[in-house]
Amino acid sequence: MANLLWLQGGACSGNTMSFLNAEEPSACDLVTDFGINVLWHPSLGVELGDNLQRLLNDCVSGKTPLDIFVFEGSVVNAPNGTGEWNRFAGKPMKQWVKALSGVATFVVAIGDCATWGGIPATAPNPSESQGLQFLKRNHGGFLGKEFRSKAGLPVINIPGCPAHPDWITQIVVAVATGRGGEIGLDELQRPKTFFQSFTQTGCTRNMHFAYKVSATEFGQRKGCLYYDLGCRGPMTHSPCNRILWNRQSSKTRSGMPCLGCTEPEFPFFDLAPGTVFKTQTVMGIPKDLPTGVDKKGYIALTGAAKNAAPAWAEQDMFIV
Amino acid sequence: MRPEEEDRLLEKIRHLLESGLKTQTEPFPETHIEFARILDELRALPQEDLRAKLVIGGFTHTPYGPDQMRCLECMYYLVHRKWCDLPELAVPVEPDWWCRLWRI
Ligand code: SF4
Ligand code: SF4
Ligand code: SF4
Repeated sequence: MANLLWLQGGACSGNTMSFLNAEEPSACDLVTDFGINVLWHPSLGVELGDNLQRLLNDCVSGKTPLDIFVFEGSVVNAPNGTGEWNRFAGKPMKQWVKALSGVATFVVAIGDCATWGGIPATAPNPSESQGLQFLKRNHGGFLGKEFRSKAGLPVINIPGCPAHPDWITQIVVAVATGRGGEIGLDELQRPKTFFQSFTQTGCTRNMHFAYKVSATEFGQRKGCLYYDLGCRGPMTHSPCNRILWNRQSSKTRSGMPCLGCTEPEFPFFDLAPGTVFKTQTVMGIPKDLPTGVDKKGYIALTGAAKNAAPAWAEQDMFIV
Repeated sequence: MRPEEEDRLLEKIRHLLESGLKTQTEPFPETHIEFARILDELRALPQEDLRAKLVIGGFTHTPYGPDQMRCLECMYYLVHRKWCDLPELAVPVEPDWWCRLWRI
């Protein structure tokens, strides 16, 4: 039996919604089949008031062992570093986060806000939000660079806006079944099993990417969304085209550009007008090139690809 | 558009460009912001105003600039159809032509 506690800071509950939609295993399967004891969760917990404070204090004192502490949402520090804008169970949430992280065997940050600060930390960041161990790409965050949970691991970051239910449940199951130490993390503390490949890996538009055929409208089945509509699939680490959403599809498969939501810079360009769903260019060349490709290589590749493009690449091959 | 109509339109554009139609090749849109402004201008045109489309688009019937930019490398160019697939232009073009909405 592994005790799990889930709290929310500066959050929209999107990751909770995603988690509650999990299938195979579902949130209920985690309890019945994988021995996870959900001590409390904002949408599932029954304790209120004094009872909730007692439950939390018992975790902090060690009376109730806390195996997995899951945090969703940013750590709110406003105003002036006090955290008073986000009070919970009698005190600023940030105090609970500090105390509970100090006693938990594993600490898991779910979603962009908990991992890097996410949308609340977008400039000018009025809520003085931070992620648990990062602020955007800067290592440190609320708990500090050196933080390690009792298992000796840093915070396990599962980013996404929201995170896919399988990314959450698979990591929680690994931890609960004693395989937490085997989770390989990348330099941003994301489980490599999900975040080593690109969103583009498995995208149905890869042929059009290769032959430089552009989609010029949302939902258009022919063409790649990188050239015109700002798709960040070639430079975003996520398994969205390997582990499909609702077991059905993904953004790019349905003609919607990837927004790069698993990377610390999300939302990109601080949401300045004209930067969303539009490829940012400088003198006709995309500002953000596919990871590992330089400008010279990109230009050479374009010429070669255009020259080699077969006729079918220009036609709509998806006939209903 | 049927292939014969596309051929006729291509010849018409060729004729206009070869007979010295002055088009706005400059300024080249430095970023997507200036690019979007040109698209707005194109959208405001009556659909049949081919001449204005070529002028605002800055069309040339030769490669352009020190880098010899041309339709062939442009991401909107459909090689086999010899077609500019940018919805605001949507005209037949030759691989060695160019316009200032060029991008790769
Ligand atoms: S749509 Fe996006 S993810 Fe898919 S091939 Fe194009 S750039 Fe890559
Ligand atoms: S496709 Fe991109 S924006 Fe959408 S969930 Fe995946 S990583 Fe996030
Ligand atoms: S946008 Fe201009 S350069 Fe590109 S294919 Fe069309 S006409 Fe040619």
